[in-house]
Amino acid sequence: MDFRFHTLDPVRNQVNWLLRPLEYVSLTPRLLFDWTSNYFTTRGELERENQSIKLRQSELALLATQGELLLAENQNLRQLLNFQKQLTYKTLPVEILFNPPNPISQRIVINRGSNDGLKAGNPIANDAGILGQVVRIYENSAEVSLLEDRDFAVPVQVARNGLRAAVFGTGRSNPLELRYLPVASDLEVGDILLTSGIDGTYPPGFAVAMITRIERNLEKNSSNVFCVPIAPVNRYRHALALLYETQVDAKPAPQKSSSNPTGPTDNAGFAPGRRQTRTKGMQ
Amino acid sequence: MIDFQSGYILRPVNRVFIYVSLFCALLLNLLPLGNYAWVPDFLVLALIFWNIHQHRLIGVISAFALGLLMDVHNSDLLGIHAFSYSLAAYLAVTWHRRIIALPVVSQALHITPLFLLVALFPPLIHWLLSGTIYWWAIGSGVLQTLIEVLLWPVTTRILLAPQRRPLHVDHTRPL
Repeated sequence: MDFRFHTLDPVRNQVNWLLRPLEYVSLTPRLLFDWTSNYFTTRGELERENQSIKLRQSELALLATQGELLLAENQNLRQLLNFQKQLTYKTLPVEILFNPPNPISQRIVINRGSNDGLKAGNPIANDAGILGQVVRIYENSAEVSLLEDRDFAVPVQVARNGLRAAVFGTGRSNPLELRYLPVASDLEVGDILLTSGIDGTYPPGFAVAMITRIERNLEKNSSNVFCVPIAPVNRYRHALALLYETQVDAKPAPQKSSSNPTGPTDNAGFAPGRRQTRTKGMQ
Repeated sequence: MIDFQSGYILRPVNRVFIYVSLFCALLLNLLPLGNYAWVPDFLVLALIFWNIHQHRLIGVISAFALGLLMDVHNSDLLGIHAFSYSLAAYLAVTWHRRIIALPVVSQALHITPLFLLVALFPPLIHWLLSGTIYWWAIGSGVLQTLIEVLLWPVTTRILLAPQRRPLHVDHTRPL
């Protein structure tokens, strides 16, 4: 019943409401360990870390101003060409609570839920790239399916030449796979795969994976391409949730949808970025 | 109740101790020990222990409730653990007369099928539902069973300790 119809979700929510405090309690030993080890870091270490962070911050600030400029220019050009406007998104910092001990699926539980504006389907990323996607949402927590989860698919684009493909998870600690590609496709080991944004779930341009091995099969006209996720999937405790307006339909934009709530830079006069099968500029 | 290991009569069990021990086992299960299938299931150890020793207090219903909690914690399909825990509890209650009279090591051997049932239930159900079988999940399930069997004497020792206390302690006893 749970597998097919999801009729037991209210039961699950109630049990989860009961169980979550206990889970927080059982996290305290690790927290205590972290606090003590944080407390006893030496002054020199802190100074070094501070310096490197300052350096990194100045670099990022420089890049950010450039990025702002490019973004504005890009939006203006898109408006001139009567293209779709790029969707904007907000980010929400989340903390990874724990990894449920389930050998079959690869999931994590985070400390933000529907009360914080998170929705099922929102992507989760960290500073390196995409980590996964929210698959089940509670009031104050959510379950995130990681990239490595079996049959977890992300539409990607090769950064070097813009070739579109889809990356599939193949289960825990196995390499990711790039499926449905012909032999002659232009791929090299070391290519970076970015999200293409075609499905409307992931914002475009986030790093997902890097190709590590290519096996070309001439008889079947198919190639097995294996890649590793760029973001260290099982390492960090903090991540960012991208509050991205999930677009699943391919219909043209109706007039009434001009009140698009996403993003702080959204002007009300624009037609909002509704996904279309063909952009307006190329008839 | 008779302690078949030593032949003495045990003290009556304290209900609060049963519930506290089950709660501690639940907390141990919730500890973030990492996503490894061989991490022993402390809850099932405590549950089967109490099913065998005190089947009037801890039965199938408590097994079902605790299994439901584990389902939600593991983000698994709702009912996998609930069903396997209840089945194991039912079998344990059925077999308790036979098992309780054995020495602890043979007890552990007799309980192995119950642990195996609980450990292998989720991969088998996923096999039924999705059609793919995870041999490594089954292998680590067997490893988990082995660890739990090795932990059985320890469990017996810890959970029976309050009942093995002597009734009268003579503080002025000459050595």
